[in-house]
Amino acid sequence: MSDDFDPLRQLRPDRIEPDDPGDPAVFSRAKEQFMSTIDQEHIEKVVGSTPDIYPRLAYLDELGAVDYLGRVFQFVENREARMEFDEKFLCWMRVGTGVVMISHANADVHRIHSPVEVGLTTVILHVYVHDIDTHYAHAVAEGADVTMELRDAFYGERCYEATDFEGHRWHFGERFDDIRARGGRTPEPEDPPS
Amino acid sequence: MGDDSDAVVIAASLESPAQFGAIFDRHATVLHRYLVRRVGPDEAESMMGDVFRIAFEKRATYDLERPTARPWLYGIATNLLAKHRRTEARRLHAVARLAAHRLPPLDLADHVSGRVDAADLWPRVADAVTSLPEPERDALVLHVWEGLSYDEVADALGVPVGTVRSRLNRARVRLRELAPASGREQHENTETRDPGRIES
Repeated sequence: MSDDFDPLRQLRPDRIEPDDPGDPAVFSRAKEQFMSTIDQEHIEKVVGSTPDIYPRLAYLDELGAVDYLGRVFQFVENREARMEFDEKFLCWMRVGTGVVMISHANADVHRIHSPVEVGLTTVILHVYVHDIDTHYAHAVAEGADVTMELRDAFYGERCYEATDFEGHRWHFGERFDDIRARGGRTPEPEDPPS
Repeated sequence: MGDDSDAVVIAASLESPAQFGAIFDRHATVLHRYLVRRVGPDEAESMMGDVFRIAFEKRATYDLERPTARPWLYGIATNLLAKHRRTEARRLHAVARLAAHRLPPLDLADHVSGRVDAADLWPRVADAVTSLPEPERDALVLHVWEGLSYDEVADALGVPVGTVRSRLNRARVRLRELAPASGREQHENTETRDPGRIES
């Protein structure tokens, strides 16, 4: 083709300065954000926007926890809800259809402790996410302490586990049904996973 | 699911929203490149999410007669770009400055009165394009950079194909006036050069 449009055709920015091939991290981040937006609408239609159970977790560094859980596990804080008292914070983070409260470890009033204080924890929090593989890759890239590698579990979900920086334990999974519903692949029934 | 047309996926997403994720998977890279071309990588990244969010919200109005959603998505992206005219102009001028260094100088002496060297030509093309009225520039960029046919441009911009034709004609005239076009022989020369080559 040779015509009056040629000069503009040649001035296409990626011909002058070839851009990097699309950064997969950009796309997976954008996809994840997009899916959480549209899932949100789905959630509000299906079950309403407030769950009936809010686990309240204790951290010595509760703002560090909000940062960590947002950055590594992609929880989203409801900033309007954040409360501050005496330089301690109480925060709410949305996790899919659920909410967790992040508070200061405190021996006198609420008497809940961070695992890092007592050297053990008694709970694993199970979280279902959209696109577990992307979630896992993101968490690993952000330096998650993975305590169980991503795998297909016999009871029909793909999952991994990680322990956060103060020792709370998290289990992330996606059900095979949900993986198939978004066009993903799951193990064949005749090929049982380990 | 994998083989269904965009129209089928979009129709299904009315009942089950998560299916709309497939539209993102199919078109995000192309739309992202379009946004990068027009406003650069930083703006493009945040705009890409907006494009698909808006598309998702408007999905009930999607014309199911259209099997592929790409022109429709181009249209949504193009609407969003209207708020970024200044960024776009800055970017195109920056690209033109780079082009003056990196593109092989166009030998235009045979085709225009007086010599126009590369340092001159590319900024003039950028001026010509950024000074076009928005509807003409949108049609021009969709056709020339994105390779959309007249019908697809019409589809993207929501105007009759005759309108696209006249917008592109006006743009063509402006380009010819402000930036003398390269001739046929010259173009064949540049085709043999490696467009990806970087000289610095």
